[in-house]
Amino acid sequence: MGIKIVSRQLSGEYEKVLRREQRSFMTGNEVVAWAALAAGADLMYGYPITPQNEIMHYWARLTPHFGRGFLQTEDEMSAGFAMPGGALVGKKTFSATAGPGNILMQEPIAMAEMMRIPGVWIIQQRGGPSTATVIYSQQELRLTATGGNGEGLRIVYSTASHQELFEYTIKAFNSAWRYRFPTFVLGDGYQAKMREAVTLFRPENRGWELVPAEPILCLPGVPARDRDPVHLRNTFNLEEELYTRLMDQLAVYERIAPEVTEWEAEVPPEPEVLLVAHGIVARAARQAKESLNRQGWKVGYFRPVTVRPFPGQALRQIAAASPNLRLLVVESAYGQLLAMVKAELYGLTNPVDSLLKPGVGITAEEIAAAVDQTEEGEAVS
Amino acid sequence: MTEGQKPVLQETPGNTKLPLSWRKETKPHRFCPGCGHGIALKALGEVVDELGILDRVLYGCDIGCSLLSWDFFNFDNIQTHHGRTIPVIVGAKRARPELIGIAYMGDGGGYAIGAQHLVNAAQRGEKITAILANNTLYAMTGGQMAPTTLPGQKTGTTPYGREEAKTGLPMLGPELVAAIAPEGSYVARATVGEYQQLKKYLQKALLNQMTGGGFSFVEVLSTCPTNWRTNAKQTWAFLQGEMPRYYKVGEFRTADAPPGEEEG
Amino acid sequence: MRRVLEAYVGEYASGKSENAINRGLRLVRAGRRVRLVDLDLVEPAYTLRPLKRKLEAQGLQVLAWETKELIGPGEAAIPLKKEIVSALAFPGDVIIDVGYGVEGRRLLNLIEGGFAQANGEEALRLIMVVNTTRPVTSSLPLILAYLDEFGAVDGLINNTHLGEETTVELIQEGAVLVTAAARRVGCPVLATTALRPYARQLGSVDRMGNPVWPIERFMSGAFW
Repeated sequence: MGIKIVSRQLSGEYEKVLRREQRSFMTGNEVVAWAALAAGADLMYGYPITPQNEIMHYWARLTPHFGRGFLQTEDEMSAGFAMPGGALVGKKTFSATAGPGNILMQEPIAMAEMMRIPGVWIIQQRGGPSTATVIYSQQELRLTATGGNGEGLRIVYSTASHQELFEYTIKAFNSAWRYRFPTFVLGDGYQAKMREAVTLFRPENRGWELVPAEPILCLPGVPARDRDPVHLRNTFNLEEELYTRLMDQLAVYERIAPEVTEWEAEVPPEPEVLLVAHGIVARAARQAKESLNRQGWKVGYFRPVTVRPFPGQALRQIAAASPNLRLLVVESAYGQLLAMVKAELYGLTNPVDSLLKPGVGITAEEIAAAVDQTEEGEAVS
Repeated sequence: MTEGQKPVLQETPGNTKLPLSWRKETKPHRFCPGCGHGIALKALGEVVDELGILDRVLYGCDIGCSLLSWDFFNFDNIQTHHGRTIPVIVGAKRARPELIGIAYMGDGGGYAIGAQHLVNAAQRGEKITAILANNTLYAMTGGQMAPTTLPGQKTGTTPYGREEAKTGLPMLGPELVAAIAPEGSYVARATVGEYQQLKKYLQKALLNQMTGGGFSFVEVLSTCPTNWRTNAKQTWAFLQGEMPRYYKVGEFRTADAPPGEEEG
Repeated sequence: MRRVLEAYVGEYASGKSENAINRGLRLVRAGRRVRLVDLDLVEPAYTLRPLKRKLEAQGLQVLAWETKELIGPGEAAIPLKKEIVSALAFPGDVIIDVGYGVEGRRLLNLIEGGFAQANGEEALRLIMVVNTTRPVTSSLPLILAYLDEFGAVDGLINNTHLGEETTVELIQEGAVLVTAAARRVGCPVLATTALRPYARQLGSVDRMGNPVWPIERFMSGAFW
């Protein structure tokens, strides 16, 4: 079959899919592959693991029409280390993984974090620990935000819809290449597989600037003649050298954190309860809030969009403004978000309750019922 | 072979000129006295000079003593994690095929912790050049057993000598790679004891990448007097006498000869 | 009585399962003995398994994994149930929901007698479900390329929708595209399928004269 002829004819058709801005009915993984295309990603290095596989399937299927590259490596470590290889010589590289794959990815992510090499990782969380299940879970929050043997100098966007998966994947490429910290889109198996309508678009057509990828190594010219050779090292001679370097990086991270941090908050006057959730669970929390509001409850809603850096100041202001406001933290994990929330509220006396269902989905009805049942909460200790 | 039969280094007498691609500001280098890395890297530098590819080389080094070469050359370098130099160089080469990717590592990085990367890069025919120094042990971490440790050899983790029944026989890397690499691959084992041959093999390995042949792999038998606890004569005797009993020096795959027809 | 043997194929998330279930139930309501077969090699645990009991209560026999039979659901561990291989031996109508992971006519290799049946008197018909809001089948050239890669099918179904954002006009536009594609490859459009409220507005035929089959949504009771 004349597949090459067909392919050439199709590249224009696929380009139209991005440009015409019509609503499309899609799965989350598919959305991510299109988003990476729209973001100008050059190469995906990946290794199969459920529930992210269709990101690779669609990327591998679409990239020949867009002149991009794909390599299926021997494992996640190989994929993770090939990413900085490509990024160092000036290409936008990304990968997608989950669960045990996310654990293996922590090694290359730690190197990218130390050496400030840009890269985008899509994490479609699955149930854990170990290989466990593949759909509902928010148990990779801590691993994604602060995994690795370092300080968690990362940017993590937790998405709640297909439109967000598309837009935050594009944004993740921009943040990664602008700030040079490892950047993540934290989805989950449910978002990966569920279907809903989304509008794909060419970011340039909406005035979104795409941050270009600049080479760090192998710039033009003969080294030592036209320019100095670039020698990158992440092994340090003494503690002082590491300390100086790391403190510089922490200062950069803390400086950029305010402009990176994103959240959603809807707080009624004199709020009684504040639902706190991230990712797909935040969607259920928002539904619960709306239905409770209709029943007369003064319920608010707070959702960190960046779970790292965490919008702690915004949350703290809301809590501090209403000392009797009771927080209800909801997550498909056993206290990973809860720990972040409590750390940010340290010293305040707002009661904090939780609905924790590790590795299980949570519905709006369950959240509404939890608000109804828990009238008295425990104080932050 | 008895000691002293061969000249110490088979290089041009009086050749003290540094290769252009050596970074003079970082010399003298940081390797221990008598270490084989300096010889392997000198040969690599000369070959890069002769091929005129200084502006195209991307050099990656591993963890272990190979990392001490991070600023050794005038070409750009990325120092990676233990065993992960091959995937980093693969990632760069796939992104910019015009570059000459060199992954430099020790026997622990290539044959133990990163063995999956060596095996799969070879099997896929990645167009990079991997150079692996075999000094029969882990040196930087204090002299532990490596996959290449000889039977009976004492190391930090084989204090009574390596026992075949417990930990197997020395890993034969080039033989393994030669068996799985596709056509167009170049596979050889050189030794720092045969300098001109070492240079020839490194040159062929780089030329094979430049002409788009395929995966190129050179294991270099190297010396570690510090962890071998040997003086100069004993070091030489181990390199030239003991190691060749297990490790056959020669070409295992070349562009001219199909698999299995190379001579040692 | 001639048996109905149909396999529902098409792009990932195009509505194959929904159409296969509805087709099966329509045949049951016509008094026929029907078996619905789940042939999904990637997500065997997440398509028909959660619906099995509900469908069986309505008289449809379902050949799909039971939770208790599964180790490692969601992973492609033991994805092809051995009974599925001999699915056509069932003495009644057989509707195969060909899930994700089985592309092209090669899927018939997995079903005993699949090819023989396809050529024989009792033909196993391949029916491709198309939703033109799916990006890879969203234009005439893309649908034709998809069909070209898949190989011949016996009929197309226009299942264009956008979930909760579906409109009658959108379904009609899908019908135009799917009909144009069918004419180009020389196969019929069997129907436009739509949820009942839309089907009622569409009438008995769509803009291109294809019959409209109302369907009910079952997959919301599954995982997605």
